[in-house]
Amino acid sequence: MESILSFCFAILIAPLLPAVIQKVKAAFGGRQGPPLLINYYTMFKLFKKGSVYSTSTTFVFRMGPVVGCVTGLMMLLFFPLAGIAPLFSFHGDVLILFYLMALGRFFTILAALDTASPFEGMGAAREAFFSTLAEATVFGILILFFRITGSLSFAEFFSGNHPITLTGQHGALLLLVIVALYIVMLTENSRVPVDDPATHLELTMIHEVMILDHSGPDLALIELGAWFKLLFYSAFLARLIDPFQFHNIWLDGLLFYAVVTFVYVTIGTVESITARYKMNLVPKFILTPFALIFFVTILTMELIK
Amino acid sequence: MDTMFVSLAVILGGGVAALLLCRHFTLMKLATIATITTGSVMGLIFTLSRLLSDTPTLETSWEWLHIFTLAFKVDSIALFFLVPIFLISPLLLFYSFHYMADKAKATRTAINYFFFAVLVASMALVVTAANMVTFALAWEIMSLSSFFLVVFDYQVRANRQAGYLYFIFAQGGAMFLFAAFALLYSHTGSFDFSSFAAIPEGVKLLVFILFFLCFGSKAGAFPLHLAKIQSAPAAPSHIAAIMSAVMSKMGIYGIFRIYLLLDATTPLLGQIVLITGMVTGVLGVVYALARQDLKQLLAYSSVENIGIILIGLGIGMVGISEQNQAMAFFGFAGAFLHVFNHSIFKSLLFMGAGAVSRKAKTTNIDQLGGLMKRMPITGRTFLAGSVAISGLPPFSGFIGEFLIYYGAFQGINNHRFSFILAVLAIISLAVIGGLASACFTKVVGLAFLGEPRTDKAAQATEARSAMVMMMILMAVACLVIGVLPEPFIRLAFAGIRDVPYLAGYDTQAFMVIVRHISQTALLFIALFLAISLLRKILYIKKEIGSGLTWGCGFTQPTVRMQYTGTSYAAEMVDFYRPFVPIKRIYTGISKIFPGKTTWEMEVDDVAAVNYQRGLVTPLLKLVQKLLWIQHGNIQFYIAYIIVALVGLLLYL
Repeated sequence: MESILSFCFAILIAPLLPAVIQKVKAAFGGRQGPPLLINYYTMFKLFKKGSVYSTSTTFVFRMGPVVGCVTGLMMLLFFPLAGIAPLFSFHGDVLILFYLMALGRFFTILAALDTASPFEGMGAAREAFFSTLAEATVFGILILFFRITGSLSFAEFFSGNHPITLTGQHGALLLLVIVALYIVMLTENSRVPVDDPATHLELTMIHEVMILDHSGPDLALIELGAWFKLLFYSAFLARLIDPFQFHNIWLDGLLFYAVVTFVYVTIGTVESITARYKMNLVPKFILTPFALIFFVTILTMELIK
Repeated sequence: MDTMFVSLAVILGGGVAALLLCRHFTLMKLATIATITTGSVMGLIFTLSRLLSDTPTLETSWEWLHIFTLAFKVDSIALFFLVPIFLISPLLLFYSFHYMADKAKATRTAINYFFFAVLVASMALVVTAANMVTFALAWEIMSLSSFFLVVFDYQVRANRQAGYLYFIFAQGGAMFLFAAFALLYSHTGSFDFSSFAAIPEGVKLLVFILFFLCFGSKAGAFPLHLAKIQSAPAAPSHIAAIMSAVMSKMGIYGIFRIYLLLDATTPLLGQIVLITGMVTGVLGVVYALARQDLKQLLAYSSVENIGIILIGLGIGMVGISEQNQAMAFFGFAGAFLHVFNHSIFKSLLFMGAGAVSRKAKTTNIDQLGGLMKRMPITGRTFLAGSVAISGLPPFSGFIGEFLIYYGAFQGINNHRFSFILAVLAIISLAVIGGLASACFTKVVGLAFLGEPRTDKAAQATEARSAMVMMMILMAVACLVIGVLPEPFIRLAFAGIRDVPYLAGYDTQAFMVIVRHISQTALLFIALFLAISLLRKILYIKKEIGSGLTWGCGFTQPTVRMQYTGTSYAAEMVDFYRPFVPIKRIYTGISKIFPGKTTWEMEVDDVAAVNYQRGLVTPLLKLVQKLLWIQHGNIQFYIAYIIVALVGLLLYL
């Protein structure tokens, strides 16, 4: 029951949190910013609209948003939000989930290529390239967590016999993991400095350019999928950052979502104070966390016997 | 055992029937396909019934030419490798009914069917051979029959060259095979496979490397993959499919069989296989990404999948030398399952490529596009195959990779070098997976989606019924294995039943995971349907417009403005530059009113470049100096033979 409520709450709150990023950016720019509920308005506005489809497109174009949204949902179904056991969990679920995320990407890329647009092809190529680099880091993190916890499941990472916490034996290593995962989050969710969701230059970059031709409810589904994905990564980071467990649902939940909000605030801060990289520098940026993780993994060779 | 030989005889009979009936084109095709299918079904029933029930190994042998013994042995490993042979071959033949539709080439088609039958039978003999003579005989028949299959369109110069290269590689590989057998025979004095374990430890490594060179070139391990790459575009599609999907697995079988027979204690064997697997996998997929020819791309993707299978085998071997039973079990099981899965989705993709080449008259991705609308079923099944080969759930490719991952993760708690190897294996699997997705989004996105880039592509129509039906069947199989993997995983487990060291490993706990994977796949599909329904509801009574793709205000888009395969892959390929030599030719702009300029990019195979530089060029120089021996005077040739004979007699 708790699990279902927790999942529903996460789905409901997922559109709210990105507005925090916009608020933070507005504050840095000395503006008031949009209302916190902006994304709900946008979503309902899009749901009410119809769509215009390019004559070049096929069913794949219409499938892309659905697959993207579903993979986002799947991540939240399997992740232990706020210390509450997830709805589904089994040994090995991380592998299938990260591969499902790749499936979402596969169809987003195909939907972009389906439009026969030169811009969207460019975005698709970048998405495909950068995600292969980020994937190596993600699996590096999984290796490390397996070495610490002996498990391959999100739920057991944080609640098994050897849970991962900052205060635990491997806290120092975890600091590097947090940095690495943060960079992966920025990459995978198309944030500054890899991509810029706000502007449309350098031929509109990655994520935004891939969804140029989507409109109406399709676009809403894409946005929802993106919000779920961002919430998943922030929740993952929050569980790593937050070492406290009160064994009280309300207290744990409150603290958890406070940390999640903090992660969103930092994203807003990063977006306000850094500039986007030139595209040819991005691969180097994405390889930084991989180097970190590999270093951490080597460190465990002597630490954990 | 007799059932199997009868089924092989029926298959060969089908081949002979093709030769006899070559004047009646359709009848010939029908008779051959029916006969070979009957034989294959018999073989399949024999194989599966023995594989699934816990039966002991069968052995049989008979005298041949009074000096040699032909010995056969059927254990679980052989049985497992028989499954794709008997399963895929008839399906490809059904496909060929409409694919080989040129009546003017009736005789040639008949010969093609004959060698197809010979190839199927010889592959079955390869996996059941139990001594050197039998194995070498079957191996050579397999190589030669496949050579004749490759040169079907021999009038085209490029095809003859590809066939020639294939021949050289096949015979070069066989040379290593004979060297290894000779080395073994000099130590044991026996032709029997079971005597291999008795040779000294030091020799085992050398023998294994010799075998690895032979089997690696058949499987397509880097850098021995060149013949495979060249022959795939040259051969008819169903031939390319059986070579990539089934015959290359004979190389994998050889490596695994020799590893078990040698029973070496050194961990080097596993390390060699694992590291070769990682290199093969990553470079295979990078080159696949760089290719614009659909069939060549698929051939490189086979190289990548061989890499994945070798990683699985390597994980298993490292597991054995580390005495980590779980690691060994899942490494081998994953490799086996991937062998099975790959034979299905790679056949599917080659069938799709064949349909495209027949209907759009080209397989160059940069000249295709928009085929999904013109060939809806080919497009949809190709999409399913692409998701499967990229290892994405809920399709079959994921299941095999999951087992290999699972095995590799069991090695994370090892120490030192084998820990590093396990880490590298996992990361290369992840990188291969990502690049494979990139590669197949390129194929589907650029060849099947978007707008047709040439008139040829615009005029394509759906393939004919036999081809379409087989593609649907294969695509459904990919989905079924992905959603309900349990029986297929059990099949792989049954395949490694006779591997020593693994006996008694309890798979109960793992089967729970498998059921969870199946549920997750079903959950995903249910959610997908639910959200699709939601989307449908949201679009009820909505205004649906249609127009041009948004072009940033540009109202006269042309198809040439689309991204091409070259541009899609350029950045990714560039990233791996040290291993991927790229040639760029740009004529430049010089005058105030510039004339015509051209820009070309070509990606060479690093192995081909180095063979050319290090092997072929020096060899040619040497051979040219010896040219005087070859003068065309037959009397002197006979004299050479006599001199050689006398010399040998004196020496011995």
